[in-house]
Amino acid sequence: MFHGIDPRSPIPLYVQIAERVRLAIATGTLGSAAPLPSVRQLSAELRVNPATITQAYRDLEAQGFVEIRHGAGTFVRELAPGRRARERSQHAVALVRKLLAEARRSGVSLAELQRALETELGAKTT
Amino acid sequence: MTAMFRAVLFSQWKWSRLVVVLGTVAAFAIPLLSLQGAARVDRGALQAQELLRAVQSWGTLYPLLATALGLLMAIAAWAADHRGRHIHALTLPLERWRYVLLRFGAGFVLLAAPIAAVLIGSSLAVLTATLPTGLQAYPIALAARFAFAAFVAYALFFAVSAGTARTAGIILATIAALVLVQVVASIANIDLDLLSAAQTVLLLGPGPLAIFTGRWMLVDV
Amino acid sequence: MSDAIQIERLHYRAGKNFEIKDLDLHVPSGSIYGFLGPNGSGKTTTIRLILGLLRPLSGRIMVLGDPMPEQHARILGRVGYVPEQPHLDATLTVRELIDFQAAFYPQWDRAQAEELVQRFELDGERLFGRLSKGQKAKLMILLALAQRGDLLVLDEPTDGLDPVVRRDILSALLTYVSERGATIFISSHLVHELERVCDWVAVMDDGRLITEAPMEKLKHGTKRLVVMGAPAEIVNPPFRILTRESANGGGAGENWVVGDWEPGMTSYFEGVGASVREVIDLDLEDGFVELLRSFRERRGGARR
Repeated sequence: MFHGIDPRSPIPLYVQIAERVRLAIATGTLGSAAPLPSVRQLSAELRVNPATITQAYRDLEAQGFVEIRHGAGTFVRELAPGRRARERSQHAVALVRKLLAEARRSGVSLAELQRALETELGAKTT
Repeated sequence: MTAMFRAVLFSQWKWSRLVVVLGTVAAFAIPLLSLQGAARVDRGALQAQELLRAVQSWGTLYPLLATALGLLMAIAAWAADHRGRHIHALTLPLERWRYVLLRFGAGFVLLAAPIAAVLIGSSLAVLTATLPTGLQAYPIALAARFAFAAFVAYALFFAVSAGTARTAGIILATIAALVLVQVVASIANIDLDLLSAAQTVLLLGPGPLAIFTGRWMLVDV
Repeated sequence: MSDAIQIERLHYRAGKNFEIKDLDLHVPSGSIYGFLGPNGSGKTTTIRLILGLLRPLSGRIMVLGDPMPEQHARILGRVGYVPEQPHLDATLTVRELIDFQAAFYPQWDRAQAEELVQRFELDGERLFGRLSKGQKAKLMILLALAQRGDLLVLDEPTDGLDPVVRRDILSALLTYVSERGATIFISSHLVHELERVCDWVAVMDDGRLITEAPMEKLKHGTKRLVVMGAPAEIVNPPFRILTRESANGGGAGENWVVGDWEPGMTSYFEGVGASVREVIDLDLEDGFVELLRSFRERRGGARR
């Protein structure tokens, strides 16, 4: 879930971590009431400042995704039904934006991109 | 404080155990060797003189052993500290002087072994010997004098060794050379008394160093 | 107590060429504070001054609320130190070194020491002199952690170690911080390692402190700008100009490297009749290099 967190990226680490958790919740990898790894465990595992993990968890709590129970840990909240779908579609939009930006930077035209998409999708269905 | 002393004592024992063991063996052997002729049954005035000469001759080894022990124990106490450039000792949570005191005390405790060996060895030698009439044995006085000499030597060399590595090394090497020369001279029966010569050279006059000079007689009139 | 370490106007000199001057450092309690700088910049000397191994010529050093070097024995009871070079006796075994250390700290955690011996896979009966470089480092870290100090001072703890050992050490340190809320002061020139874990960072060069800032500010505040039409004199910018040079190929473009940048500062340029064509993110290592470069240029110029 946290594979490939990049400390060199301009996106702060706590934002990256929170994003991964949100995505995991949205796709169902983390189910309702599932426990998040403890700050201590995750900080040692990712070799990241525990304050960073704490901040990510706090942000997630502020956004309504998790609940921090002092002494017990952090747990995924029961989400309103449309919320997961909304998160997934937001993530999809972000992916597309990244793709389009990359294409623009490398000089690939929209038409070429579309053709590539169709080929790839076609290859998948056969 | 006791836990700290035990820790310091253990490390000091590990560093100086060879010296302590060899020193104890030597300290035990010298009195026995010095009286090895005294178990003979027939005695006369000449025998007494011979015996005293033997005792005096072997007796020159006591101050040497005391000096050697003091020197080597002092070196062992600080060698590791010098190797690590004092960083470990200086980052321990106690004042430097307290740490120095602990190391000093540990050396004292370890010196008890060779001192006890002198006492036991000389007592044993006296028990198994039959002394010519007119001669008395002084095992306790001998052991006490040896103890004092060893402590003085240790204290002096310890003070040098606890200082900077360079000065300590130079001074200790010079003294080691002196001791070695004296030992060789004693064994080869060359009449050489470097210690009293050194004393007069250093002009230290009467004082703790006087303990080293003179005759060391287990048996005397 | 808000600062674990507080250094004010520190002045120290060694020999003719090495001098630490006007050093001001503030390490907040509970932070992981990175101390960056090239070799020879004075990091190790500063650490030695903090621990009372050296005495400053002037200035004030407070560690965990007590003055150094006056209270060094009391302070060192709460500080775990890992020096750059192995400082332990080569003729004692791992077990013996642990037992020795334990005798000096009343709050020593035997269980923690045991656990770390297992985790670090150290052989208790092995002589310190016979351990590999990584194992020596692990033992020194173990001793510092089992001591349960409120402050850990680490001088290049992972330098020259293989990645696996580095990970083990970092994980152990972070676990300790999470559990105890201790402060960690860690000097290194391995920028990437510090980047992940430090909340504060100070950069030192040639005995001077170049900057001291929260990690996020330094990381995200250092940018490369492509600027068009900027005037020769820049008065009171809200950011810090580190370097400024003409772009290749002429035109009116310039490459700037700035620090303390915040989004929205492009409006400043519009105010002076210039424009920013591009804002390029710099990672900590690049930012660090630019900081050093600009500092050295300015000092070189001042010296002349």
